[in-house]
Amino acid sequence: MTGFGDYVRMARSTRAETDVRFSLRQVAQRIGVEPAYLSKVERSLVAPPSEATIVRLATDLGEDSDVLLALAGKVGSDLQAIILRRPKQFAELIRQLKNAPDHALLKVVREVRDGKW
Amino acid sequence: MITLEGNDLTFRFPGVHQSAKSAIQFQRTLRIPDDGKHYPLPPGLGAFPLRHVEDFTDRVPESWRERAGVMMPLYQAEAMWISFRANGWSRGSYPCAVKIAAGKINAISGKAWKPDLDGSDRDYVVVPEQPWLDGFCVAKDVIRQFVAMPLGSGYSVEEQITGKPEHGGLQIIVYPMRREHYKALLRRRERTSVHMAATRARSGLLCRTAEPARAMGLAAGGRMRQQIYADPHGLDAWDQSISSRCFVVLVDAVQWREITGEAPPTKPPTAADYTKAGLPWFDYYAADLETLGGAQALTLVKSVAEMALEKGEQVMGSDGEVNPVTIISIGLGPGSKAPPKRERKH
Repeated sequence: MTGFGDYVRMARSTRAETDVRFSLRQVAQRIGVEPAYLSKVERSLVAPPSEATIVRLATDLGEDSDVLLALAGKVGSDLQAIILRRPKQFAELIRQLKNAPDHALLKVVREVRDGKW
Repeated sequence: MITLEGNDLTFRFPGVHQSAKSAIQFQRTLRIPDDGKHYPLPPGLGAFPLRHVEDFTDRVPESWRERAGVMMPLYQAEAMWISFRANGWSRGSYPCAVKIAAGKINAISGKAWKPDLDGSDRDYVVVPEQPWLDGFCVAKDVIRQFVAMPLGSGYSVEEQITGKPEHGGLQIIVYPMRREHYKALLRRRERTSVHMAATRARSGLLCRTAEPARAMGLAAGGRMRQQIYADPHGLDAWDQSISSRCFVVLVDAVQWREITGEAPPTKPPTAADYTKAGLPWFDYYAADLETLGGAQALTLVKSVAEMALEKGEQVMGSDGEVNPVTIISIGLGPGSKAPPKRERKH
């Protein structure tokens, strides 16, 4: 599995090939960290940044924040709050679904209801 | 199937292909002046929040409950644009055909809503080729910006064309590419290494009284340079045996908290203030793609400014003088691997 730093470097450098706004310096500036720090994150020389920084990074790069958080070994605080409200039910639900294929998971997600129009 | 993922309206067709997925987001933006000039593309200032209508059944009118779908808040005279994103910015991105209507008037053809795809009308866009749609297609490479106005005030395109404030909101239907066409497309992409792409980029007083929830419709704002691309795959490429559709209710932002308990987004800056701050506008073009001309019915629609003048009403603040200086040109061609970005930090 790709590490957090490798994934971020690949996502950013792919965008930088066609858009100079995705240089290390500009991305670091937009998400509020030092370029040297982002460089170390990309090379996995330091631990992944905080949840808030990872979410800002995901937004800036157009990546899924849940995926980036997972690569960093974290679970979003919004998800934690959801689980903590009904810990027994969600713990059981996740265990039940742990080996379910993606198409089966899609059957339990909430769909946007369509009505008469 | 359609799911709400954050503020993305995500359309999936797992029965057609595992990768058959497309997401739509509604972006807050500047309202461009309606002064006869043709403006470049304004920035995205963040996504509008989306909520399931059925979560608030005790606070919305019966007609909204019947239509279901999702809802989002817009202030009177606030502008927005629609961002389309295919599944992944890569050679694997899955094409979809998307029809967009406002008040059940097709935003490309100006004709009454028709769910099926009909090549003769050319009234749909194709994702990922079309990254954004900012308004009604009034001429070749020119659109009039989507601007929200209260339904019933006479300003919306729907009311001007049909004479009735019946539907308001936005209507969307998405068709996936046929599985076999997608496989053939993947083989062609492998051979040519051409990666076309999906996209992602580029306070009102709270109503304290329990007024009935007010719906908004989309009216025509200022003119903007934007290409609407013709279908490069052909009608036969789309799997019309399956589709997903959604009604998006536009709610007056001053009532958003009353309905949802959440604060609405703040009002965006004016185009004049944004431009004075030296912040960028955008131009986007895709080489080698045919673009559509404007719809006859839409060219006859009056803009908000024209109608306000005619009615002697003051419905939006002055737009001031706007001369975009910093314009970032984004062109997509063979070899593009990343989505054009048009969203600003906010």
